[in-house]
Amino acid sequence: MISVKGITKTYGSGEGAVEVLKGINLEVDDGSFVVILGASGSGKSTLLNIISCLERPDGGSVCYDGEDITKFTDSRLTAFRRTNIGFIFQQYYLLPNMTVEKNVRMGADLAHNDDYGKIIEAVGLGDKLEKYPAELSGGEQQRVAIARAIAKRPRVLFLDEPTGALDENTGRQVLDYIANIHKTQSLTTIMVTHNSNIARMADRVIMMNSGRIVQTYNVDCPQSAYEIGW
Amino acid sequence: MVISYRDALKVVGIIIVCCCAVFVCTLFLNYNLDLCGIEGELTTPAAVAMYYAQIDMGRVTVGVTGGCLVATSAIMLVAYIKNYIDSHGRELGILKAIGHSRISVAKHFVVFGLGTLVGCIIGYVASYIYLPAFYRTQNADGLFPDMPVTFHPELFIVLTLAPAAVFSAIAVLYAFMRLKTPVLDLMREKREYAVKMRQGKGQKRTFLKEVAVATLKGKKSHIFFVAFSAFCFSAMVQMAISMTEIASQTFSWMIGGIGLILAFTTIFMALSGVVRGNSKTIAMMHAFGYSDGECRRAVLGAYRPISYIGFVVGSVYQYALLKLIMTFVFAGVDNIPDYNFSWSALLITFAAFVLTYELIMYVYSLKLKSLSLKSLMLE
Ligand SMILES: Nc1ncnc2c1ncn2[C@@H]1O[C@H](COP(=O)(O)OP(=O)(O)OP(=O)(O)O)[C@@H](O)[C@H]1O
Ligand SMILES: [Mg+2]
Repeated sequence: MISVKGITKTYGSGEGAVEVLKGINLEVDDGSFVVILGASGSGKSTLLNIISCLERPDGGSVCYDGEDITKFTDSRLTAFRRTNIGFIFQQYYLLPNMTVEKNVRMGADLAHNDDYGKIIEAVGLGDKLEKYPAELSGGEQQRVAIARAIAKRPRVLFLDEPTGALDENTGRQVLDYIANIHKTQSLTTIMVTHNSNIARMADRVIMMNSGRIVQTYNVDCPQSAYEIGW
Repeated sequence: MVISYRDALKVVGIIIVCCCAVFVCTLFLNYNLDLCGIEGELTTPAAVAMYYAQIDMGRVTVGVTGGCLVATSAIMLVAYIKNYIDSHGRELGILKAIGHSRISVAKHFVVFGLGTLVGCIIGYVASYIYLPAFYRTQNADGLFPDMPVTFHPELFIVLTLAPAAVFSAIAVLYAFMRLKTPVLDLMREKREYAVKMRQGKGQKRTFLKEVAVATLKGKKSHIFFVAFSAFCFSAMVQMAISMTEIASQTFSWMIGGIGLILAFTTIFMALSGVVRGNSKTIAMMHAFGYSDGECRRAVLGAYRPISYIGFVVGSVYQYALLKLIMTFVFAGVDNIPDYNFSWSALLITFAAFVLTYELIMYVYSLKLKSLSLKSLMLE
């Protein structure tokens, strides 16, 4: 279980200081699918980066099974990310000078996962192994990013607006892959979006506004990527 | 316009190399020109022998040092422009897209010749200031009559304005050629090597090895600079140590100093380029949980063997060059000690080299560490 308590974060100092997170508390059960919803600039990405140990908060704690990772040293945090965390970003961030296969191996090698070929098949890129990111469409690139994150066999998967740069069709496809992986591997999944329709796919929705959580609710009957509106 | 005069001054590497090249060339050429003027006044056979030896020495030094440095700065210039075009692909692509012709964009690259001019002038002025002292050391034995330093305008033109003009022309021409890339490829910052790097099936490397290979293959100029840096360090420091035995102290300080300046400039240039060029990969690797050590070994470690190769080549080169000068140039001159390969110079230089390079690698590994994903994502 992940439990976040009293997270604060301020960027800048003096007059230009912006308080981006103003005391965030939340809990995420193992195997659940949580969507963080909020307007642009409400602090979603910042929160996600902090929960996923990419960034340190100014105050508060982030506990994974009771262990506060904000107290970890940098190298311990890196080791923690290595075994526990998977990321998918809005801008994909694939390595431009490496093929699809090598990009996925970036994740697979960390988990000594030799079976990553199956994952590439599963995201429908089996015939694009030797292609470079510049030779792929946006949706294909995002699927490589998903395969790369999954090949790492993480405990928790973080997604920051994974469909932000995609059109409706490709967006639904990508979300469908994510939902599938979540279900078949009961992978804890935390996704940030500003599209309230996508929130219907989650077990639990956390709504943010100006650095605060304004509402949290459970979804009784999550919909599939093809049932939600867009 | 995309290229400003400040961009031109950022070619610090070129400025320093040009400065060194012109410094050495001015020293010897100005001396040789003045020396030719007093040829008729020489009477003793010793003075005549010394005269020819020094003239040849000047030619060899200018040829070897000058040629080597000019080639280096040309490669630096081309690498710099290539890098500039690669990293400003979007702006250049937009310029082309809205209808600027290739030549109208390329002509702005002329400012890169400015760095050459600045470096050459600094080198010339520094050399001119040092000339009187140099004349005294060259005539330490008092074999020649007193010789005043004369200003040779043609030398000034050949060593400052001409290289600047040539380098500006190279810059424009090279930019013109590179800009042939279709607009979309410029904007997409499509990597040329992306297509060339296919490898046969069956030979699977680990991801970290792949990063090392991709780093090496990505920018070939970095390989050259790292090797050249080690080469300069090795050759010129060893030469400096050997020269204290066979030539004057000032001379060896000069050679050693120039060697170190060149070595540091090129290694910093190369490694900064490596870190900058791989910053996204490194940040992503950090995010995924690759440790600092793994990132360092994958990205910087690949350059270590190259620097050792450069060192070995430098050692051999300096020995061959000194032996050549001693055997042929100073053949007729008395009181010139025999020159043998100095193992102690090699050992001292190698120890200093390993220490310095590991330190520099360490400094850059700290730089890698500080690359946060957040800052790259904001780009
Ligand atoms: N490194 C930074 N330095 C200064 N301010 C920052 C930094 N990162 C984020 N901010 C500010 O923090 C606020 C929240 O940013 P954040 O990226 O978390 O928003 P978001 O909810 O993810 O928005 P979006 O939906 O547009 O991605 C913004 O106002 C932003 O300007
Ligand atoms: Mg965001």
